[in-house]
Amino acid sequence: MLKSFFPMDRAEALALAFLVAFSVFSFLPAWRSEEIAGMAVFGWLMAALMVLSPALALWVFGRPGKR
Amino acid sequence: MLLERVLVLLYFAGCIGIGIAASRRVRGSGDEYWVAGRRIGTLVNAMAIMATLASGGSIIGVMGLAYSQGIPATLALFAGAVVGFPLASLLVARELRNFGRYTITDFLAFRYPSSVVRTLVPILIVIAFTIYIVAQLKAAGITAETLLGIPFEQALTVATLVFVIYVSFGGMVAVTWTDVFQGFLMLVVVLGTGLWFLWEVGTPLELMRRATAVAPELGRVEHRPVASYLGYFAIWATAIPVIPHIVMRVFTARDARGARLSLNLAMLAYSALILAAVFLIVPVGKLEFPGLADADQVFLKVMESRFPPVIRGMAVAAVLAAVMSTTDALLLACSSAISHDLLGNILREKASQRTIDAVRVGTAWVIGLLALYWAYSPPELISQFYTAGVGLLSGSLFVPVIAGLWWKKANRIGGVLALVTGALTYVLVHFQILPVGMAPILVSLGASALAMAAGGLFGPPESREMIEAIEKLHAL
Repeated sequence: MLKSFFPMDRAEALALAFLVAFSVFSFLPAWRSEEIAGMAVFGWLMAALMVLSPALALWVFGRPGKR
Repeated sequence: MLLERVLVLLYFAGCIGIGIAASRRVRGSGDEYWVAGRRIGTLVNAMAIMATLASGGSIIGVMGLAYSQGIPATLALFAGAVVGFPLASLLVARELRNFGRYTITDFLAFRYPSSVVRTLVPILIVIAFTIYIVAQLKAAGITAETLLGIPFEQALTVATLVFVIYVSFGGMVAVTWTDVFQGFLMLVVVLGTGLWFLWEVGTPLELMRRATAVAPELGRVEHRPVASYLGYFAIWATAIPVIPHIVMRVFTARDARGARLSLNLAMLAYSALILAAVFLIVPVGKLEFPGLADADQVFLKVMESRFPPVIRGMAVAAVLAAVMSTTDALLLACSSAISHDLLGNILREKASQRTIDAVRVGTAWVIGLLALYWAYSPPELISQFYTAGVGLLSGSLFVPVIAGLWWKKANRIGGVLALVTGALTYVLVHFQILPVGMAPILVSLGASALAMAAGGLFGPPESREMIEAIEKLHAL
């Protein structure tokens, strides 16, 4: 099965899986009613996703071995 | 309003000056005109990408939405685009930069050689982007009318002429330079305003506590179910890796690593812009102007009440910059869909370089003026249509591009089927001809993937030469 796909760098594949998993996790209905500092946890998760996703990708592409 | 108008006129003059300066460099070269000679450095490209994504909606719209529907729902809409950029850098940036052509159509027509692909893709781009441009023009006209007191039609005409001039004559070089200027202006105004409020209050958490104590709806998810935002999130997350005006930025980078880094640096800046707007400016607006009938006025009201005319003038210029930095890239991508993707082969065979230059400039003018004509009396729901237009592109292009780069069994028949099925399904579900009770983007992506799988598994296997060519794109 995997042979049908072109190989992806392990760290890049993990970053991709993390992004998809974090996005799915953020949309779980439970986060709508819980609040921190007056705002639903869903909102904080979205804000975290907006910062974490590019930061993670920068870390993956900026590793010394990637130069 | 005199000072504000003078500042905006100076800004317009600067944009035209950049266009004229760039026109000398791009004349006679497709590489210079469409992809700025592939020499754009990482930081410059990052700023240009940030400005390209940050449209009028990213300043006026985001704050209006947060004010009226709460911060969590607003962030759900904008987070999709932000996640799309890391996806683009992981899935397509290196490979498309190594491919080294001008447009997404170039790649798809190479990967799935077919007249259907060569014709349908640019037509979809022109349809979706013309709607997108009209929506942006409407925003520019309303902004100038509200803030500068200039009649809607006049404001629209002047703004359109300015960006058509610098795009048509200066190509990607002018678009990049003006976008950097425009992006810088946006960041200074929005982050500067946000930091000023932060200095006054202390911490964002304190500001949020104060605002949500008075207006608890600001922090709640109560206007629509979260599931309804999943569609918008998916549209933008899957559109960014394939949407032409962003993909063209990948082609302008010096190398694959530069392309990947610039996409993500751009998103850090964009996220800072959006988060400063919703966490620092909107709470102040909610505290000081709790009952605004038109929520989109919140940023302008805050600027008016707190800052002197010079800063207000910069704010007006920043909003117009946000609109123009997106519209110029859309116009260039739309122009490339016609003069490069559709007419390119004929022009290369039969026309002189001078004619090719004239066609490029002429195409940008025709599209710009048609969009202007339509924008004089735009449909009321144009803002919703443009998201649907982006959805149409995403639903039809995402699967063929990603499978073409990563799945060895992706073949010509699968690519054509995925493209046509994605586009058709999106239209049928969006207009409720096919009522399935799900977001059109989710249905069209699924249908497109099934069509690709059917073509790949049951159609003729892909040639060894094509597999090797794609392997090279990954390996470089």
